[in-house]
Amino acid sequence: MTDVIDCDVHCAPESYDALFPYLSDYWRQYITEAGIRLNGVAHAYPRGVVAPAPPSYEALAEHVPDLAILNCVTGFETHRNPYFAAAVASAINDWVRDEFLARDSRLRASVVVSTISTDDAVSEIERVGEDPRFVQVLLPVRSDLPWGHKNNHAMFAAARDAGLQIGLHAWGRAGKAPTPSGFTTTYLEDYLGNQPIAQAQVLSFVSEGVFERFPDLRVVVSECGFAWLAPLLWRFDKDWKGVWREVPWVKRRPSEYVHEHFLFTTAPAHLSGDPAAIDQVLEMLDGPGILVYASDYPHDHGDGLPALMDRLSEEQRHELMSGTAAKLYRMTG
Amino acid sequence: MSHVETSSGVDVRGVRPVELVDCDVHAQATEAMLAKYLSARARRMLERYGRRTPRVTEWYPRARNAGMRVDAWPGKPGQIWGSDPETMRAQLLDEFGIDYAVLEVLSGQDCYDDPDFAAEWNSAVNDWQLDEWLGFDSRLRGTIAVPHEYPELAVAEIERRAGDERFVAVLLPASAAEPLGARKYWPIYEAATGNGRPVAFHTGGYVDHRGAGYPSFYLDYHVGNGIVMQTQLTNMVSGGMFEAVPGLRVVLTECGVAWAAALIWSLDAAWELMREDHPRLQRRPSEYIRDHVWFTTQPIEEPDDPQHLVWAIEQAGLGDRLLFATDYPHWDFDSPKQALPRALEAPLRRAILCENALELYGLPSERPV
Repeated sequence: MTDVIDCDVHCAPESYDALFPYLSDYWRQYITEAGIRLNGVAHAYPRGVVAPAPPSYEALAEHVPDLAILNCVTGFETHRNPYFAAAVASAINDWVRDEFLARDSRLRASVVVSTISTDDAVSEIERVGEDPRFVQVLLPVRSDLPWGHKNNHAMFAAARDAGLQIGLHAWGRAGKAPTPSGFTTTYLEDYLGNQPIAQAQVLSFVSEGVFERFPDLRVVVSECGFAWLAPLLWRFDKDWKGVWREVPWVKRRPSEYVHEHFLFTTAPAHLSGDPAAIDQVLEMLDGPGILVYASDYPHDHGDGLPALMDRLSEEQRHELMSGTAAKLYRMTG
Repeated sequence: MSHVETSSGVDVRGVRPVELVDCDVHAQATEAMLAKYLSARARRMLERYGRRTPRVTEWYPRARNAGMRVDAWPGKPGQIWGSDPETMRAQLLDEFGIDYAVLEVLSGQDCYDDPDFAAEWNSAVNDWQLDEWLGFDSRLRGTIAVPHEYPELAVAEIERRAGDERFVAVLLPASAAEPLGARKYWPIYEAATGNGRPVAFHTGGYVDHRGAGYPSFYLDYHVGNGIVMQTQLTNMVSGGMFEAVPGLRVVLTECGVAWAAALIWSLDAAWELMREDHPRLQRRPSEYIRDHVWFTTQPIEEPDDPQHLVWAIEQAGLGDRLLFATDYPHWDFDSPKQALPRALEAPLRRAILCENALELYGLPSERPV
């Protein structure tokens, strides 16, 4: 039996040199001439306070539990050139496969795709998605169009055909203001800004009818919290009752789609210090079944997880630590 | 003097205790109604070029009754929803026995105009409130519309109106050209506080994308108003404005209430990790919110189990911070008779329906009949 499935572990190439074997002469020259460097996605994970993601299997090995899903967010930051974004996404997937997946059978990974061109994302899903070690498509919560938008549906069709789920992860779109009033001025705001943006994405998947078109699709939201979910759904259901005619393809209450199709990782678990309030949050969420464990290694989000685990039964803990994820990704140890 | 009630709740002095305060009512002016207060130059600009502000209803059409209560159309020449005091008095004040209603006129909210025009336009909103509303019914209170993108002009408008106690707050939008905690806006907050007024931030204003890109539907856009306010409250706390303006009181209007606890927990947790980045903050984020932030109720979240809403209010410590609001004449009007769940016990219900607002706005707890 699998005891622990870690649904969000990071890895990242230290520099483009690591990706050069997987890039054409054209892109190697482009990177070299333009002096493009990887900076560890520094605005999202400032090096002074956040440990860098492991650049090699050796650096990661001791942090792998029974099973772990690797998310490489390096590709979130690849500029606005759609051709470059597609080339880098492919290179990252090849690098993850050769450097990590090939070396440890406990590892799985997300397919990195271009977040600029749906066509390129579809091609990449078709190229690597048949490999069963890739279990989901990785998308940043920050986007030019909300992910549920019809322009993205071809990508979801490709994911479905390849047996992949969707992983929605914090950050993305450097250089684009993350709020309606422009840029944030402190790291705290930028960090917490992922949570409201994830909320907007939840709305989008439901209101655009994604789950009516793709009834088997699941979305795992990582590094964006979850305590906000129940109050969001109370308002979503209420508003839908008022204006459902605008979205006639939404045939059931929004909260029903969310409970069937979304999962949220436990990092960060930003919760009350009062255990009774944690119990209330769990009841509002209709139990912990919507949560899956993630260490988010190497990132630190405080000590919310132990407080959450204290409130769960033995069986609930098992489901959260591995059972739910095993069913989702059809994985066994 | 002792309080001697008659059977109708009116005591022998001809006053009655205040029981219901509505903290978000939309009087709505047409351009023609405001144009008469403008200078000839500004009026000519308006006639020739119009406003520079694209109305958000043009790109997120309200998917129900054009966003209004269908019965609120006055049916009088030149009048629109919310523009006719008599219709509002009948449908809101008299219908529900509202003791005080706080008007929030949104005409100046999404102001991308030239500074001089913006100043005149907002001043016109305030003149119109005075002429058409505040003198029309003693139950009405106003909020000071200001050209918020030009703080020195906004401060002048606050000073101009502050002598009239019927203006109980300064009105700003929930989204502006900069985050609401930005130092640019602090002079407005100082002027409001110095004149004893809270600042009410009302959903709307500058409508840009929200980090996830533009939603396709009014449904997402409207639910998203609560999400936007989470972002703004984070910015207000993080940027230090509550340290800079110690007496500042802010009212988050029409953005929901039930999300507050989750945001407070996130803010406190993140602050523990990042205190070094916030040397201006002397206390935990939750303490600033506790001391400085009020919420209006409409559109109140409606969980299947009403007890969950009570929990959400308790978790965030909002019992003395919630202000009842109907949002008349908009389609998602919350009725004073039905909106608050029965699970709310009587003292909390009383606090939300009237006591919290009386204290915040300094309104008398009795009024003449």
